[in-house]
Amino acid sequence: MTADVTATLPPAISVAGLRRVYPVKPKPVTALDGIDLQVAPGEFFGLLGPNGAGKTTLIKILTTLLLPSAGEASIFGFDVATEAAKIRRIMNMVAGGEQSGYGILTVREQLWMFSQFYGLGSREGWRRVDELLDAVGLGDQRLQRVSTLSTGQRQKMNMARGLLNDPWILFLDEPTLGLDVSAARAVREMVLAWKGAVPGRTVLLTTHYMAEADELCERIAIVDHGKILAIGTPTELKRRVQRESVLRLEVNRLDGGPAVLARLPGVVSAALAADNVEAGTEAQRVAVNLVLRDDSALTGVMAALGEAGSRVLGLRTSEPTLEDVFVELVGRGFADEADAEAADEGADRDRAHPTEAAER
Amino acid sequence: MTAPAPAASGHPAFDGNGFDPARAEGAGLADTRRHLWTAIRLGWQVESNWTDPLLFFIYTVAKPVASLLLLVFMVQIVGGTGAAGEAIRTFVVLGSALWAMLMAGIAGPAWSVLDDRERYRMLKYLYVSPATFLLVLVGRGVSKLAVGAMGTIVALLFAVVVLGLRVDLAAVNWPMLALTLLLGLPPILALGVGLAAICLQTRQESWSYPEAFAGALFLVSGVVFPLSILPAPVQVIGLINPVTWWVAGVRGAILPSGSSSIGGAGSLWASVTRTLVPDGATTIAVLLLTGTVSTLAAIVLFRVSERRARERGLLDLTTGS
Repeated sequence: MTADVTATLPPAISVAGLRRVYPVKPKPVTALDGIDLQVAPGEFFGLLGPNGAGKTTLIKILTTLLLPSAGEASIFGFDVATEAAKIRRIMNMVAGGEQSGYGILTVREQLWMFSQFYGLGSREGWRRVDELLDAVGLGDQRLQRVSTLSTGQRQKMNMARGLLNDPWILFLDEPTLGLDVSAARAVREMVLAWKGAVPGRTVLLTTHYMAEADELCERIAIVDHGKILAIGTPTELKRRVQRESVLRLEVNRLDGGPAVLARLPGVVSAALAADNVEAGTEAQRVAVNLVLRDDSALTGVMAALGEAGSRVLGLRTSEPTLEDVFVELVGRGFADEADAEAADEGADRDRAHPTEAAER
Repeated sequence: MTAPAPAASGHPAFDGNGFDPARAEGAGLADTRRHLWTAIRLGWQVESNWTDPLLFFIYTVAKPVASLLLLVFMVQIVGGTGAAGEAIRTFVVLGSALWAMLMAGIAGPAWSVLDDRERYRMLKYLYVSPATFLLVLVGRGVSKLAVGAMGTIVALLFAVVVLGLRVDLAAVNWPMLALTLLLGLPPILALGVGLAAICLQTRQESWSYPEAFAGALFLVSGVVFPLSILPAPVQVIGLINPVTWWVAGVRGAILPSGSSSIGGAGSLWASVTRTLVPDGATTIAVLLLTGTVSTLAAIVLFRVSERRARERGLLDLTTGS
């Protein structure tokens, strides 16, 4: 298979005016609000956004698990609403953060079952399963029951299942969610190796891990509240904030949160840093990512901190990250989003499973 | 499909017919056969793998035998030990033994939906695979039916050896038995598929639906007592229900001289048709008719339910999430 052949293929993903509204009481939730998107064959495309942004809803529609409320979507030219059977033969999906699997089957048995559902011959299925188990590093666990696997091993098994049919396009929904660092790295390397082995293989990844999107994706769409806010390569996206001063500020306390700083003249955005691990502990050290229109705005920031009784523990310029891009586009960081979600427990679950919310 | 070959990256470079558009079309009937067989095998593995073979066997037969004994003792107390009591006991034993198989076939597909969605969380992966979802559920139902049939056979053997059930093998109408068993399978599974369609729309409460539905069916299908003792409107439900005709057909084939669960003095059947009991050919014909109607109805119901589940995002809905 050469790149020339894939050039003649329709777009791997084509989405136009896609809307998805969940009929939840007391008022409907709009999970996708007019999404337009094109992904070419062979691309590694990322959807980056906080929980509840609409990423999983989009993947569910593209994998034929959910129907759109309005708009059109197709995979390699096949319509998701009317040609689901065709799409299912050429794609596969893997979701993270879940304990799925027939626990009473062995790893090998479970994967072989799926190889049969994907149309492989019986012997071919066994051979393919063994190859994939070796490739994902589960060769020694092939005869273990699925229920005995660790979270990381189970995710590797899921990855093997996702590659059984050698899909034209692989959908990965938060594939490293809940994994430790080494297991997450193993999954990322696995995906990159698989994609790189044959030109034209396409991957759509959803994640809320900035570094993961930055490392893996050739293009990224930043999504929030059901809308695509920006699309581009990681470099293109980061260039949006390069003209401004990007700083990391660390203070002992920040009464009123980063919003206090965001209101100051010359401050483009202020958001809690994603690695703000010490916030909330007794030994306070609050880290804030600041984007300033120019360096002169720093004077005002320092004055405001002094008036508020905050002591500056550190200040340094930093290279813009995808989080800075997100903050500039949305006006808040992922860490702020997590805080807001914690304060409003269940809101995200309602969006993910609106029918349950409706029943509640 | 080409054989997999290691790529330079060390990752299998299997390219499953590459980007040939024909791949999206599938292999038609060959795929259907493979998917059905795999679903049956998956169902069997899920059913039988949870414990060692001995425990599995005990579990499979303990329930039908216990149910059978319960009913036999009740009949013993109520019906006595004379010829009439013997006839009732035979009627009940056969119906009760058949029920193990029926129950498994009817509840099987629904339990598969609930198990795969709630316990194994694999429903969404099955659904987005190329296998037809309906076919997968039918396959899972077939494996449960097979497990139920084991219970039926053991319960019948128990009844013959331990309880003294008299079955004259020379008198058994074997062609009728084979035909009835065969014709009964689609409607039994169809009822299961219909129930699965309902469970697809519901949440955790639906764990009890299959047994509740089967329990209701037990009452109106002439399993352990004839329809004639029921009120006329309920007899109507029994008469349009393929399970009634299946039970009557199997019972009539095994014990040609036994009493019918459908007709009899004062029954709705007798008053409408002016024949006391349906003969074998009539039983087969009505089983075929009601079976066809219920199978078609179940397919339509399932398609509607599947579409609605896809519209409402119910396919990966789990109670705990």
